[in-house]
Amino acid sequence: MNQAAVTGLHQPVNAPLRPAAPLWPLLPALVVLPLALLLPGLLHGGGWDLVGQFALAALQPSLDPLVLGSVLGGLGITLGIALLGWAGSLALGLVLGIASSRVVWHTAWGHRWPAELIRRLLALPRSIHELLWGLLLLQLLGLQPGVAVVAIVLPFGALVARVVSDQIDNLPLGGLEALRSAGASTPAALLTALGPPLLPQLLSYGGYRLECALRSATLLGVFGLGGLGTELRLTLQSLAFRELWSGLWVLLLTMLLLEAVISGLRRRWAMPLRFAEAAQPVGRQGRELLLAALGLLPLLVAVAWALGIHPGQLLQWQGLPPFGPADWQAVAALPWPRLIGGTVLLTALAAAVAVGCAPLLLLLVAPWPWARMVLQGLWALGRLWPPPLTALLLLFVLEPGVVTGALALGFHNLGILGRLLLEAAAGSGAGAQQALAAGGSGPRLALLYGRFSPLARPYLAYGAYRADVILRESVVVGLVGATGLGSQLLEALSSFAWDQLGALVLVYAVLTLLGEDLSDRARQQLLGQPIPGRQLPGRPRPPTPQQPLAAPSLPLSPSEPA
Amino acid sequence: MSATVTTLLELDGIHVAGRQLPRLDGVTLRIEPGERVALVGPSGAGKSTLLAVANGLITPSGGQLRWQGEAPATSGRRRRRQQARIGTLWQDLRLIEELSVQQNLNAGRLARWGWPRALLNLLLPLDTAACRQLLQRLDLDPALLGQPVSALSGGQRQRVALARLLRQEPLLLLADEPLASLDPRLAGELLELLLDQGQAPRALLLSLHRPDLLAGFDRVVGLRNGQVRFDLPVSAVDGPILEALYAGSDLAPDQRRLEVDAPQGAGAGR
Repeated sequence: MNQAAVTGLHQPVNAPLRPAAPLWPLLPALVVLPLALLLPGLLHGGGWDLVGQFALAALQPSLDPLVLGSVLGGLGITLGIALLGWAGSLALGLVLGIASSRVVWHTAWGHRWPAELIRRLLALPRSIHELLWGLLLLQLLGLQPGVAVVAIVLPFGALVARVVSDQIDNLPLGGLEALRSAGASTPAALLTALGPPLLPQLLSYGGYRLECALRSATLLGVFGLGGLGTELRLTLQSLAFRELWSGLWVLLLTMLLLEAVISGLRRRWAMPLRFAEAAQPVGRQGRELLLAALGLLPLLVAVAWALGIHPGQLLQWQGLPPFGPADWQAVAALPWPRLIGGTVLLTALAAAVAVGCAPLLLLLVAPWPWARMVLQGLWALGRLWPPPLTALLLLFVLEPGVVTGALALGFHNLGILGRLLLEAAAGSGAGAQQALAAGGSGPRLALLYGRFSPLARPYLAYGAYRADVILRESVVVGLVGATGLGSQLLEALSSFAWDQLGALVLVYAVLTLLGEDLSDRARQQLLGQPIPGRQLPGRPRPPTPQQPLAAPSLPLSPSEPA
Repeated sequence: MSATVTTLLELDGIHVAGRQLPRLDGVTLRIEPGERVALVGPSGAGKSTLLAVANGLITPSGGQLRWQGEAPATSGRRRRRQQARIGTLWQDLRLIEELSVQQNLNAGRLARWGWPRALLNLLLPLDTAACRQLLQRLDLDPALLGQPVSALSGGQRQRVALARLLRQEPLLLLADEPLASLDPRLAGELLELLLDQGQAPRALLLSLHRPDLLAGFDRVVGLRNGQVRFDLPVSAVDGPILEALYAGSDLAPDQRRLEVDAPQGAGAGR
């Protein structure tokens, strides 16, 4: 902080044309201009009446008991997959996270390199999107309910592991050293010193993972892995919009309910530990947590039984189609620069749309509370609505391609970033906004000056993280064609050209890891703090005191992938 | 605006409901241009609530509020014009830390500026001459204009907040215990600056925790339990009146002693 203040003295803030903090979140929205110029050329104008029918059908979803029955059945499967995938990824992530923590290895064994090694190994499963895992496993194992669960567990588990190990390594170590020097055994010292500060963070993060798991389970369904997603895609493709909307409304309600329950539980369990140490007896939370955990186990078993998942079946690989001879020349002849360029462009466009439009829209609707409610509803829809379905819908009126894919991905992530922005805005800048409004500023300017100023850095830092996720997700809109690596990958999968597939997955993984590194650096730049996991080898530092600029705590701190 | 002098603020039988007792209970108060009014009373008397009613943050549940003879408008644009004539100096200043001093000063003009200028202010230094002049008037180095507010000292911030208030060019200046967290020297200086600004056509209404600083005001309003206990010229306010106002609260005796012994005594501790 002091350093920032000192450097500030030497760099006049008023250098010509230097955008100030409140403008930063809006700058990415400039991407709307070229998009608006491109769109008329992409319109083929074929399906406006279809879009109209789709929109109208929202108001009259089918209430046919048969439709509702199949929607609810599909929802049950999707929820089951999400729950199992979530629980599995948390368990796996916790174990792997501890196993890849430098502090743990150093305390237990005196060396850190095994932690580094495991970290590197985990980068691969993390860099491959759950959809790719799902489709690959589908080839290996055939269609069975367990495939979707495993597809979620693998990348999510590796993600959770990274977060867990980063958080362990960033805890202050005083307590641990004190216990060790007092002669406590290694496991006891680690558990006592690191467990309690870790728990609330994990609870908070775990809640978000469940929401992500539900989104992923729906998405996997769209690609035929069962559940509500499959219903949604079938109804969309057969243009049965009223039936489609029955499924969408049910999904929307479920998602909102889940979000409400999770944020309620987080407040109840995770927050009191952090903010009101004395006010809440820790024992009560402990008991409730234990009960919840104990209740979860039989629930998981019951869900697995109801879905017909037999762990044994996951070990029986089905006979693969015979591998043809590898044709590496054909692989090399793929238009790599175009594929990679398309993917990068898609990511950049989608990220700019999502990051820039959320604050812009919030600003536009600021004077009218009802419009804000509508916007929130739209964002909720965007969050739960799988991007490939948006892409299919857009194909009614747009040509396939990068822009169409970017719009679909952008809309989805706009919903996620929008909610985050609202939650963060609720927690910062209220005083300044009120002061401006009391001085006669309009509601939009008061929001822009008062709220967006403190928000700018943490919001953009989260946006940088989100861009990294979008890069990984860009494969899911591959089905609209001509979107770069994603469409090529899906094509290679369906024809099982294993040589192409292998090369594409590898390139994708490398690209994703590069993107992750870039987004880490961007976040570091924005927040001015060391990024966990990127520190110089050596003794992990205690977390730096938060800068005032980073003070409005986003519900997800930007280092927490979601 | 008519040439005749309009009352800047009129509160007539203002009632604000509270959880158990009303926070304001039939408060009537008029402030004319050129008046500098101090609002005193023990904690919980309703001083902050009264100021929040006066600047439009709280809509009273009963009674009438008039700004320059007009009832608060319900339409957005007119209401904003009314609000622009009322300036508040907040106890926590409410400056925008991420912006430069100049941008903060110009934030006082947002009520009058349209979107283009408001956006331009976030890109370029606007109205540098006017901002410079304001800083000089408040004894601040004009070189501070380009600094981020987060780099300033406490005293500088206080003055920047006041400069933003003046940039707004309000007619009615409100301040809720602006001196509470300041050391005696700063408090004295700030009070002097504020009193300076409260000359016709402007007026000043300021809540105070320290009866020892009443000297420069024209009128003193004593508030207790949400009711006006007295509304007197400052010359008529003496020890017994203040004692009666603060009776039963632990603050009063100390404060009166301060008045006699050490006018610049240590900040009132609660």
